[in-house]
Amino acid sequence: MATEISAYPREGLERRLIERFVSLRRKHVLEIGCGDGRLTFQIAPIASSVLAIDPDPLSIEEAAGEQQRRGIANIDFQVGSIERLSAAGAPFDVALFSWSL
Amino acid sequence: MVHALRRAAGRLHAGGTLISIRPHPTRRPLVAIVTGRRRLPVATLLETAFERNLDAAESALARVVEEDAFHLAGVRSARFRTYLERPSQMRTYLELIYPPRPRFPRGGRARLYEMWDAAPRGARIEVTESLILNALRPLTRGGLETR
Repeated sequence: MATEISAYPREGLERRLIERFVSLRRKHVLEIGCGDGRLTFQIAPIASSVLAIDPDPLSIEEAAGEQQRRGIANIDFQVGSIERLSAAGAPFDVALFSWSL
Repeated sequence: MVHALRRAAGRLHAGGTLISIRPHPTRRPLVAIVTGRRRLPVATLLETAFERNLDAAESALARVVEEDAFHLAGVRSARFRTYLERPSQMRTYLELIYPPRPRFPRGGRARLYEMWDAAPRGARIEVTESLILNALRPLTRGGLETR
């Protein structure tokens, strides 16, 4: 049987570390460098909203497809970078550089 | 990177928090073969091409604190492990890491195969990686964005 291989921490580790400093509950979160949404989908269930951006259109397409499959409404996946992000939707409670700085 | 941090600060509420999660700047990925309770180190993966990125991230975070754009609320680090069933899965594992990817030092991959061939049935390959998390709070919302 094939084993799913991940090069990232097991689910929940990053969220727990973040919440040592700031609760994500009902917060408006900006995630910079969301990739395929791996961490976004861990944050969204407790956050009020997540704007998740990544410069890679394929990753965003994959993330948006997964979002639709899961039926999650409070994530806005966008192709983009922090340098080019418009002020619309700001301000946020948390800005997260997830493996992207 | 400093510019990106300033831009992010400009998108935060007063009292908001900026979080950076990234590979640990000094702890490199370690490959080992584990059999029961025994852990046999094979190699530490190199990230030569990545060193500059790691250094730049550290410098950028330090700089925005020094220039009073942010207050450092805290730092945490953590280790995490991935287990592979056979050496051939190393290639897949390494390809999953966002480039530039770490690689084996000279002779490291051959050593993995040699040790794997000598390992008892039920052995697994363990890759230990480390992350670091910085939490920062902006002192001036957007105040440094235009610098």
